[in-house]
Amino acid sequence: MTNAARTRRYAHASHETFALVVLLFFVSAVCPEMVAGAADQQVKADCEISKGPCTKKIGPLEVTLDIRPKPVSVMKENSFMVRIMPVPHPLPEKITIDLGMPGMFMGNNVVMLRKQAPGSYSGTGIIPRCPSGRRLWKVTVNVPEGGKVEYFFDVVR
Amino acid sequence: MWSADSVYAMIFISGLLGGFGHCIGMCGPLVATCSVRMTGRRLGPQVLYNLGRITTYSVLGGVMGLTGSFAGVVKSIERFQNITLALVGALMVLMGLSTVSSMSFFRRADDRSKTKRVQQGDSACLSRVTSRITNVVIETKSVGAFFPAGLVLGFIPCGLLYTALIAAAGAGATSANRAEGFLQGFLLLFLFGIGTAPALLLLGGIVSRKSGWLRARLYRASAIMMLLVGVLYIYRAMRY
Repeated sequence: MTNAARTRRYAHASHETFALVVLLFFVSAVCPEMVAGAADQQVKADCEISKGPCTKKIGPLEVTLDIRPKPVSVMKENSFMVRIMPVPHPLPEKITIDLGMPGMFMGNNVVMLRKQAPGSYSGTGIIPRCPSGRRLWKVTVNVPEGGKVEYFFDVVR
Repeated sequence: MWSADSVYAMIFISGLLGGFGHCIGMCGPLVATCSVRMTGRRLGPQVLYNLGRITTYSVLGGVMGLTGSFAGVVKSIERFQNITLALVGALMVLMGLSTVSSMSFFRRADDRSKTKRVQQGDSACLSRVTSRITNVVIETKSVGAFFPAGLVLGFIPCGLLYTALIAAAGAGATSANRAEGFLQGFLLLFLFGIGTAPALLLLGGIVSRKSGWLRARLYRASAIMMLLVGVLYIYRAMRY
């Protein structure tokens, strides 16, 4: 194969790769609902937070999350409450939770919860609205020296 | 919990990651389809568009910091945001239609129908109005038009932007006075905007630098994409 033919072949392959990348951009961009829908099928709500608190276990600890007012909606100040039982030692003065959306990076939305009683923490935060229409959100509670507990739930618009 | 410096670094990184992980998906088609049309004008329009967008973000961040209230400010601009989204959608539909009608296949079909319409006494004024609007608003030859375009498009509703604005309102709520709150919010959103710019500049740069047969094909494909994205934007604006 001559050098010119090889160059032409490389150029053609580069154009095809570029076209494929642009096409992928377009598909993921025009159909975020479709892409998000696929992600939603993998991750489903495991907590009906609009009906009541949700409890999960991590090691020996039971971690309960509650959000008010109900139903839990976006773009409003919500109160986030976390109760850790049995009460951990040493007892931290504050813990953090992360608000995120499964399958879509929505920035670092960290809410600080302050101690209200031994093992009980609360603070206020806002769940933003996603213009794509997705309603599945995730709260990750960072349990001091215990790991992370995730809660998946639907919000109302 | 976090020092002021780490909050600024965190929001910049959040913008940087979000640019590639969020903006390219949500705003990528808008940037890519416009970039395909920029023959001979490469970095200038892209930079000006991003500067306009970052200016809007910074001012919004300043207002959030000044008031210390995210929900209150967003509530007051929500309608304007939706109108902006619907207008952008309508412009993209017009732009798509204008390109589709200039394609040879459609032009031949249009010429035939025009002849028929002229024979029937129809002035085809709708077609002329459409092309006039697209010429004035969209196919502008002035690079300076991209800054105001960025200013307006900075208002498009965006979940990632909302998260940054929540941080700005939080900073404002804990600041010593309103002026400090404004400056903190302004700076936070400025850094966030700067962080989102590389992804969109890269996408626009790649698309606008390609030339020849591929560009011609992308240009045609972009017309269809514009129609789809425009309809999607209008749908989203009407849904909220």
